[in-house]
Amino acid sequence: MTCREAIDVLGDYLDGTMPPDVVAELERHLAECAPCRAYLATYRKTRELGTTAARVEMPEEMQVRLRRFLIDRLRAV
Amino acid sequence: MTRYSARVFRLAYGITRSAADAEEVAQDVFLQIVHKGAGFEGRAALGSWIYRITTNLSLNKRRGKRRELETSLDDLLPTYLPDGHRAGDRAFLVADWSRTPEHELLSDESRRILEAAIDRLPEHYRAVLVLKDVEELSNEEVAQIVGDTIAAVKTRLHRARMALREQLTRYLGAGA
Repeated sequence: MTCREAIDVLGDYLDGTMPPDVVAELERHLAECAPCRAYLATYRKTRELGTTAARVEMPEEMQVRLRRFLIDRLRAV
Repeated sequence: MTRYSARVFRLAYGITRSAADAEEVAQDVFLQIVHKGAGFEGRAALGSWIYRITTNLSLNKRRGKRRELETSLDDLLPTYLPDGHRAGDRAFLVADWSRTPEHELLSDESRRILEAAIDRLPEHYRAVLVLKDVEELSNEEVAQIVGDTIAAVKTRLHRARMALREQLTRYLGAGA
């Protein structure tokens, strides 16, 4: 497996959706390739940090406004 | 309503990156739910319909806006030699910063860089990233919502994560 092939399957690897033979091949590559090991570690961490940064919750006051908006619209019908 | 409105806002904000736009999307989504009434076969059908309509309305909101911010992802992806090994001026960006102390990873500056990187992703990539990594849907569900193939969803997600990783590495890798 080349570096390119290894990087291409990292998403599936983290999802646990890869066939066992490809997992074994990737893990053999990772055992021998420090840059790809570093890439995997930072890719995994990026997913974790990205999930936190992209998750923005609805402010309480917006919930209230939305409820009021819908009640007003329903009354107007 | 609270459960659905939280999901709608998270997804709409994730795609539009604007609280005002996300609020308008949420209003439009709930108006459509009210008009559709009991036309859903069950909660699952309603849940995935909500994700689909929220995605479409959010992408429409984004149309023509802030396009100048969006980056060509190709500049942020790894490059390889013809034999598949690493190449080019980005080959050095392999520093392992994953063990950087949490307080540094979560610092205001790291957060700012990450949020700017998310802002610069093309909107279809951001939609897939939020549906998969924030809403934790399966590739199959995401493909259904965005109306694309599973292979296309996986490619977009992977490219989006690689682009974010590259931008974080340029900042965090320097000290690793």
